[in-house]
Amino acid sequence: MEIVVKTDEIVFEYAVQSDTEDKTDETPPNVALDGVSISISKGEFVAVLGHNGSGKSTLAKHINGLLLPKEGTVWVKGISTTEEEKTWEIRQSVGMVFQNPDNQIIATIVEEDVAFGPENLGIPPAEIRQRVDEALEAVGMTAFAGNPPHHLSGGQKQRVAIAGILAMRPDIIVMDESTAMLDPIGRREVMAVARRLNAEGITIILITHYMDEAAQADRIIVMNDGKVVMEGIPNEIFTKIDELKEIGLDVPQAAEIAHKLRLGGVDLPRGIVTGDQLVEALVNVNRN
Amino acid sequence: MSIEIKNLCHYYGKGSAFEKKALDEINLTIEKGDFVGLIGHTGSGKSTLVQHLNALIKPQSGNIIIDGEDINADKSRLKAIRTKVGLVFQYPEHQLFDMTVYKDVAFGPKNAGLSNEEVDERVKSSLEMVGIAPELHEKSPFELSGGQKRRVAIAGVLAMRPEILVLDEPAAGLDPRGRDEILGQVKRMHETLGITVILVSHSMEDIARLVNRILVINGGKIVLTGTPAEIFSKFDELEAIGLSSTQTAYIMRDLQSKGFTLPPNIFTVDEAVTAISKGICR
Repeated sequence: MEIVVKTDEIVFEYAVQSDTEDKTDETPPNVALDGVSISISKGEFVAVLGHNGSGKSTLAKHINGLLLPKEGTVWVKGISTTEEEKTWEIRQSVGMVFQNPDNQIIATIVEEDVAFGPENLGIPPAEIRQRVDEALEAVGMTAFAGNPPHHLSGGQKQRVAIAGILAMRPDIIVMDESTAMLDPIGRREVMAVARRLNAEGITIILITHYMDEAAQADRIIVMNDGKVVMEGIPNEIFTKIDELKEIGLDVPQAAEIAHKLRLGGVDLPRGIVTGDQLVEALVNVNRN
Repeated sequence: MSIEIKNLCHYYGKGSAFEKKALDEINLTIEKGDFVGLIGHTGSGKSTLVQHLNALIKPQSGNIIIDGEDINADKSRLKAIRTKVGLVFQYPEHQLFDMTVYKDVAFGPKNAGLSNEEVDERVKSSLEMVGIAPELHEKSPFELSGGQKRRVAIAGVLAMRPEILVLDEPAAGLDPRGRDEILGQVKRMHETLGITVILVSHSMEDIARLVNRILVINGGKIVLTGTPAEIFSKFDELEAIGLSSTQTAYIMRDLQSKGFTLPPNIFTVDEAVTAISKGICR
């Protein structure tokens, strides 16, 4: 499978502002990424977990060249993000959806907002029309094309933000806690769109605090203190209950119940993540 | 400190072409010392309702009565009412502004005209209550982590010594550890200070393990009220208005439908583990 994103031992430090006059009193730099190597294949759905400050958003911003590594290299479709003349090409292939829906919509009409990206790419009007229509269709927002965005719900606004990215025809979409400010309906809407786009071949990198969302991914990367500490399919990751709790993360309630039952001597298989899996396993236990 | 809401209505854009009913004949009573969860999807009227509780929004019709006093009856009493009812908004850390953590928390008590000793005592005890260590007191609030910032903002409200604390999604956007810290402290405050707490949240799991009573709001109306046990067993009613029961409650329901004999009203992980251990044949 073609590798679309690859990072090799990347290091990134945020500058720490020191208000002390004495320059010899050096504050250690704030290391946000400390030797991160990941690779993501075309068409994958990867979730990145980690507590606040673990480095996951910093990693996300490296994937479209918003931040450049201090050490190491980030390649997007084989192009290093440090190649300045390729920056626009990279940003067109990697779209980002951020946390706050209100900070990402700029136009006063939904379809104009979606058209903003392709307009800036200098695409002919007829093709823009087609791209906007397709993008709104893909996120289920066609009916709102002529509406002012401020009357939309949070989930609808995030879907418009995603449409704006789709109109740029990206290969990869990075969602940086894009569901964090949404209610349960909004979260479901945005996750459904992400899964649908992934099924159509777009690579999705989902940064989230919600374990039920991560459970839907093909693969999970867990970050702590700027390092990748775990990597694997959801069923493997969510059996490591104690390690996850140790670094301040949750596990889905079904996984936690299964874990505690196993500790109490109930003979359950490992790798239970969803409620359905737990119910099925318990039915088997009762049958035997 | 009981709260009584009588026939409360509120319209957005009242009298304009865009008039929209946000609160529709709300009637409810919250008893002193209650820990109440308020749930409803975005746009259901939760935030509009809680902003009425300290007269940030005045009733277009109806009354808010706190401790027998109609809070909108006498303008000169507003300051006292707002001291009594502490409101923590969504993303309260956006309201931090001062040079140091200490000064930020001291802002309210100072403006209330308290003596320096009293201000000092309140700042220190409020910051201790939210778990902010003394070595952080002289730091800029902007150097803190997201969870710490939010706790400083909550300390600013606590320093006013409210008898009723209203928190509008205090854990939104925090990671699991930050969420557990904040909610754990809210629970302790409720237990040790005996204050009435009203918690607005989208997380049914958080609501299930914290509150003793739930109000469900939809379309500006209170559609369900009851204990967590009563509310979280109403799967269909909750789903019909865009909410859900807890993850654990669904697991328990599915097990029962597969023939497991389990006690009713189980919504949290630990209860479920105990019940399932007893309910399976070994």
